[in-house]
Amino acid sequence: MTTRPLVVATQETTSDVKFDKTMEDRIADVLRRYPTTRAALLPVLWLCQERFGWISPGVISAVAERLGESAAFVEGVVSFYTMYYTSPPARYVLQVCTTLSCSVCGGRELVDHLTAKLGIGFGEKTPDGSFQLVGVQCLGACGNAPVIQINDDYYEDLTPKKLDAVLDDLKGRR
Amino acid sequence: MPKLTIDGHEVEVAARTNLIEAARAAGVFIPYFCYHPYLTVVGQCRICMVEIQGQPRLALGCATPATDGLVVKVETSARAKEAREAVMEFLLANHPLDCPVCDQAGECLLQDHSMREQRDTFTTHMAETRRTFPGYERRLLGPHIVQNQNRCIHCSRCIRFTQEISETAALTYKSRGNSEFIDTFDGRAFDDPMSACAADVCPVGALTVREFRFRKRAWKLSSTPSICPGCSIGCNIFIDHHEREVHRFTPRENPAINATWLCDYGRFLADSLNEQTYLYPQRRAAGHMVRAEWGEAIAALALELRAARPLRVVASANLSNEELFLARELFGRHLRGELAVPLAAGEQRRMRNGKGEWLHAADPYPNSLGARRLGLNVVDGEGLSRFLYGGAGLTLILDAEAHPFLAGAEALQLLRVGATAVWMRCEHPLAGVAGWLLPAASLASDEGTFTSSTGVVQRFAAAFSPPGTVHRMPTGAMSPECPTIASPWGPPGEARPLWLVLTALARELGAPNLDLASPAEVFTLMAQTDRAFAGLEWEALGGLKLDESFRERQHVG
Ligand code: SF4
Ligand code: FES
Ligand code: FES
Repeated sequence: MTTRPLVVATQETTSDVKFDKTMEDRIADVLRRYPTTRAALLPVLWLCQERFGWISPGVISAVAERLGESAAFVEGVVSFYTMYYTSPPARYVLQVCTTLSCSVCGGRELVDHLTAKLGIGFGEKTPDGSFQLVGVQCLGACGNAPVIQINDDYYEDLTPKKLDAVLDDLKGRR
Repeated sequence: MPKLTIDGHEVEVAARTNLIEAARAAGVFIPYFCYHPYLTVVGQCRICMVEIQGQPRLALGCATPATDGLVVKVETSARAKEAREAVMEFLLANHPLDCPVCDQAGECLLQDHSMREQRDTFTTHMAETRRTFPGYERRLLGPHIVQNQNRCIHCSRCIRFTQEISETAALTYKSRGNSEFIDTFDGRAFDDPMSACAADVCPVGALTVREFRFRKRAWKLSSTPSICPGCSIGCNIFIDHHEREVHRFTPRENPAINATWLCDYGRFLADSLNEQTYLYPQRRAAGHMVRAEWGEAIAALALELRAARPLRVVASANLSNEELFLARELFGRHLRGELAVPLAAGEQRRMRNGKGEWLHAADPYPNSLGARRLGLNVVDGEGLSRFLYGGAGLTLILDAEAHPFLAGAEALQLLRVGATAVWMRCEHPLAGVAGWLLPAASLASDEGTFTSSTGVVQRFAAAFSPPGTVHRMPTGAMSPECPTIASPWGPPGEARPLWLVLTALARELGAPNLDLASPAEVFTLMAQTDRAFAGLEWEALGGLKLDESFRERQHVG
């Protein structure tokens, strides 16, 4: 499995966002699938997060204008969901399941291991911008607990040793 | 029209009326926080729960339309009462107990409801820690709004106001659940042109108006129905005042004009009513202004008026219909002088009525249509300059603020020729050329009618009597020896409303038909002679309820 690092646009490049042709096409594509423009807000924000890595105020303005909503409304929606990043994330976001099944199958050890190894706690990023630790609720893969989702991929049946290998591999990659 | 029974009272209401309004009509009170008669119904706060006979589930008073034969139980249903108490308990578990230092106290729906219910659920959570929003307790949300998020009960009225009424959609909830709070996009200033209405609709002290905060406890204020002087739309307001000082304007409900809204520009004119630079009549003698008595001023002016050739009178669209009528009859008809009402263009102001339609202001005067309907000669700046040009004689300027042209060098130059008498309240360059300077009273001490740009003749009442008089509004025409009993509260001075001075002048000039005792009498005469006012009755004007109490208007606040 090769988890690709997130593309993370800087604060500057996302302060005044203009959608390019590719983005416009994808947005138009999304809009076709929904009855109202407001209904398309979540998938359009998702497209933006894929493209810029996070949802900056500049992205919010651009989305609001494109969909005919107020920027305040769009920001309200963004702030409702935890999976929209409102600050630049690390290249690899480690979403550690902290719910019961994972916890009792070694999830707690994984968390201890990660905090010690990376020197960061939940919600923090390593100084080099490689990893970010996030605690999440059940990822729906309890059968293969403990589970960590890294960006969009699931890593299951983990032990500290297996995890080290994964992290070293990812870290070596650019 | 559906007929229903609420707590044993039969009532018939218009179709689509909700249970809260139907109950109000039946004299039963259903509490509410998120419901507002001019905003969409969202059924969010759940405090309006009532029992409907035959229905297993409790219903929302705000979201249930009255239908024929419904039997509704509000106070008579133990189930509904218990449910409402539970809602209250949830709200109060997190609401700060800071009423003593909260500026909303006295006009807070949550406080009112707590007081009304007096349940001991309200004391159970006294000692518990509350959810707080550090950094959001005393925050300037915009130029006029102070936010204290700890007090917010998440009713979304403010958000709906910006989405549905002012259409800026500037406010939103951020985050969710227990940490949900009110904010603008990217923390920008909330500078909606009607921003202070967000504080009006906020049922608690989460949003308060910066200009009014901690000026006066709400229960100390008296509210006098009046009309906003800011533009020709004529929004209905209350002048909230205490001890002869105006503290704020608040919107007064009028579905045809301003629903329950007010623009920030108009609202914050309130303080200007307290300005009174000129306190006594003054006369120019040997280049200096010296204080004069009103009696002396009126006698001398009458003499000058009789002899004046030509006589020119600059009236103003800031004056009431009664004052304009008196001026027209006295100076125009009786003395054969020339009158003009100058109008300047102003900023584009707009207001939303109860049907959601935008009304646009024609100009920045409250009574420009009144002046037109009285057949007065309406001129622009250029016309005013022509009107003032040439000839000695006497020029009366009934309101120094009638047109910005009057403050310019050209006007001062023109007015140096001949004699000039000017009515003014605040510092104005015309003071430098006036032979007579007469102190005008503010809108707060005047009484009369304005004609709105939509053609409605609307009455405004005097909040308090003019400075230096006994506290009641004098009902007789001003005697030349006007009383100057210094009021224990009022500022000193002898500023008088114009109608009072004009009736006194009429007496002096031998026009007894115009020597009337009150604006009401002037109006009655006007209604007899002028077609524009035919059939109108002073008492019935604009549904003005002078006894409307402070409490009652909260139904829409
Ligand atoms: S700030 Fe006031 S109006 Fe807005 S949601 Fe909170 S309580 Fe309601
Ligand atoms: S508990 Fe971790 S995936 Fe379900
Ligand atoms: S008033 Fe009915 S739910 Fe709030």
